[in-house]
Parts: sequence; structure tokens; C-alpha cells
Amino acid sequence: MATWIIIAILAVIALTFFIYYNRFVRLSHQVDNSLAQINVQLKKRADLVPNLLNSVKGYMKHERKIITEVTEARKELVNARNVEKKMKAGNKLQSALKSIFAIAENYPDLKANETFLHLQQELSAIEDKVAYARQYYNDGIMSYNVMTHTIPGKWFAGMYGFKKKEYLQIPEEAKAVPKVEF
Amino acid sequence: MNRISFHEEIKRNKRQSFFLITLVLIVLLALVYTIGFALGGDYFFFIIIFGTIFSLAYVVGGYYKSADLAIASVKAKRATGPEYREYNNIVEGLALASGLPKPKLYVMDNPQINAFASGRDPQNAVVCVTTGALAKLSKHELEGVLSHELSHIANYDIRFMTLTAVLVGMISIIAQMFLRSLFWSSLGGGGDSRDKNGVIFMIIGIVLAILAPIIVALVQLAISRKREYAADSSAVKFTRSPTGLINALKKIQDNKPMKVSGAVAPLFLAKPQREKEWFQTHPPLSKRIARLEKM
Repeated sequence: MATWIIIAILAVIALTFFIYYNRFVRLSHQVDNSLAQINVQLKKRADLVPNLLNSVKGYMKHERKIITEVTEARKELVNARNVEKKMKAGNKLQSALKSIFAIAENYPDLKANETFLHLQQELSAIEDKVAYARQYYNDGIMSYNVMTHTIPGKWFAGMYGFKKKEYLQIPEEAKAVPKVEF
Repeated sequence: MNRISFHEEIKRNKRQSFFLITLVLIVLLALVYTIGFALGGDYFFFIIIFGTIFSLAYVVGGYYKSADLAIASVKAKRATGPEYREYNNIVEGLALASGLPKPKLYVMDNPQINAFASGRDPQNAVVCVTTGALAKLSKHELEGVLSHELSHIANYDIRFMTLTAVLVGMISIIAQMFLRSLFWSSLGGGGDSRDKNGVIFMIIGIVLAILAPIIVALVQLAISRKREYAADSSAVKFTRSPTGLINALKKIQDNKPMKVSGAVAPLFLAKPQREKEWFQTHPPLSKRIARLEKM
């Protein structure tokens, strides 16, 4: 009789080990996937930039500074290889684009240009999606971190080598209102 | 993580959907057999066999085709094309925020502000808004509304709600057809069907046929108002701001009645037409707005 009870207890313990391992793996994958989603949006944004610059160049011939800024930010984003660099470059590009759109307010002909308007709308939509993708990513990180910190997840995390993950920070530069020089 | 936090609601909805399907199947079979007994005689076996096949096909078909049926009943059209870009972009953003796949988007022609979601699971979900909603709501408000619909999808509310609309709504129609055929046709089916048994079953058949619409109404109640409140709060979780949905609901207070089939009415964001006090499928707008404003 006692042997059956011991077996049952061992089975429950083994099951708990499996369940927690799987939970960590699942959450970990979800976090990776959501990071990939952010990158998809960032890439879309980078892809639209050349078109935007083309539509703008004719009208904003003298705004060299901001056009260079955008071109360089985009190059940085395309060449970024790790998460931190990608996020930093993405934020830089976002900031530069904000400046371009602010400057465009002074060019009524440009504002009437269909292509420009279309691109502006698309880029604005991508901004929203980047924000949502980041939100979901941070939500996933929160769940993951909560599980690695609370009991009994805490014990398993150490055992399986699942470490705490970092939230996505918005760097100071992106929070600042872009300077618009005329 | 959204999956874990919806866990309880998802489990409950899946369980209730299963019970609903079983209940509907039983009621349909009861109707069929009773009609068979009532009409009796040579038709009996034919009716039983045909009726059983029909009931099974009905339940299975209803389950898989529920979204298509809901969409067809309001004559909605796919929302592809440049004029729906904002609509599509909003839903894509919310899909990213919720981790859900992007549902198929539809639009229905109606000047009132309303929307519904349907389908059996998130992978086979659809969202439909009225042309009125697209025209009258700002982007922020539309986002609140669509977030509410995506919450229903994430909760598996749509499975239970759509199954109720399709399966239960149809029972009422079948029952009414039976009543009408009784009324108009002469039931002289030969000497056998005039004996005591035939009459008893006919009475049972009539009783069932009268009860069926009441069952429909009661089950519609079961599409509890709790679900609507829950979807409202989950919507805020996705957008991180209640103001969009609050302002949309305020605008909806000016809605005029919409003509939609009684079966799909409970699916909508706001109730499309006046209902009797007992059979309220939606909580009052004022209460919903008040709850959201507290967030």
C-alpha cells in the first residue's frame, strides 16, 4: 500500500517538473516570437523610407540636414545585428521621421501630394504597430519574469537555467520632442 | 500573458459550448421523434432516420459554418480595398497587442454604429463593423470597439455566442414551421394515427414547438451580460486606455434601431433593437460607460 502512495507522490512531483519546464519553454518562445514581430514592423518602416525620401526630395531640396539624418538612421537600422542596436536604431529613425513630417507642414504642395500622404499614413500605422508589438513583448517578459520570481517557478528556473529577461526600454532620445529647424 | 489571464473564461466558454451543442442535439432529436410519432404510420421510420441525419448535419455544419452563417445573415462584405486601410491597420495593431491571429474583416451596410465578432476559435474568427461605425467613429473610438471584439475572440466568447445564435435560433424556426404545417394541413393519416398514442405525441410535439422559442430566449440570456463587461475590460487591457471605447459607447447611445435577425442580435456590440426587460442580452450602456470610466 505504502509503495503505491510513494509512487503516486513521485509521479506528481515528476509531472510538476515537466509542467514547469514546458511553461518556461513556451513563454520563452512567445517572447522570442514577439521580438521577431517587432523586427518585422521595424523592417517595414525601413523599407518605406526610400520611397518617402523620393517623394519628399523634390519639394524639400534645402532641408539637407534632416534628409541625411533619416538616411543614416535607416542605414543603422538595416545594419543592426542585435536587439539593443536594432531598438536604438529604430527609435532614432522614428524620431527623424517625426521631424520630417513636422517640417513637411511648411510645404503645402508636398502635403497635397498623394504619394506623400499615402506614405505618411502607412508610416503612422507602422508606428502604432511597433508600439503594440513592444507592448505585447513587454507583457510576455512580465509573465516570464513573474514565473521566474515566484514560488515554485523560482526553484525550477534556477534548475533549468531560465534567467530573468529585460524589458524593452525607450531610450531618452526617443522620448524627447524632435527639434525642428527651419 | 493574455492566454493565462483569459484561462478561466476560455475554459468556461469551451465547456458551455460543449453543453450547448449536446443540449441542442437532444432537443432537435426530441422534436424529430415527436413529430415522427405524431404523424405516425408509414412515415415514422422515414422521419426518424431523415430527422436524425438532419440533426447531426445541422449541429456539425452549424459548428463549422457558424461564422459564415452569421456574416451571411447580415449580408456583410469583405473589407478589403484602400478605403478600409485604417480599419485593417487598427486590427493588425490589436492583433499584435493581443498575440491573436488577424481575423477576417467584414463590413455591413447600416448607418448605426455597431460591430460583432463571430467564429468557432481565434484561427477562424471574423469581425464585422457597420458602415455607420466606420463613418461616425474617430480612429481612437474605432480602436476601442475593435479591441472589444478581439477580446470576445480571445475569450472564445465567439464560439458560445455564435453557436447559440445559429443552433438555437434555427430550432425556433423549425418549431415554427412545424406549428404552421399543423395548422394548415389536414392530419388525416389513416386510422392508425388517430389512436390515443398519436394524439398524445402530437400534443407533446406542439408543446415542444411552443417551448422552443422560449428556450431560445432563455439561452440568449445565458449569453450573460458578464461577458460584455468582461470584454469591455479586456478591451482596455489591449489598448491601455478606456477613452476610445467610452466615447464610442457614448456615441452609440444615439443609435436608432437596426433590423437584424433575432438570432444574431445578441452578437452585436450594442443591442440593435429594443428588447423586453427579461430578455436583455446586453447590459445597459450607461452602466458599461460608468464601469469603464472608473478605470
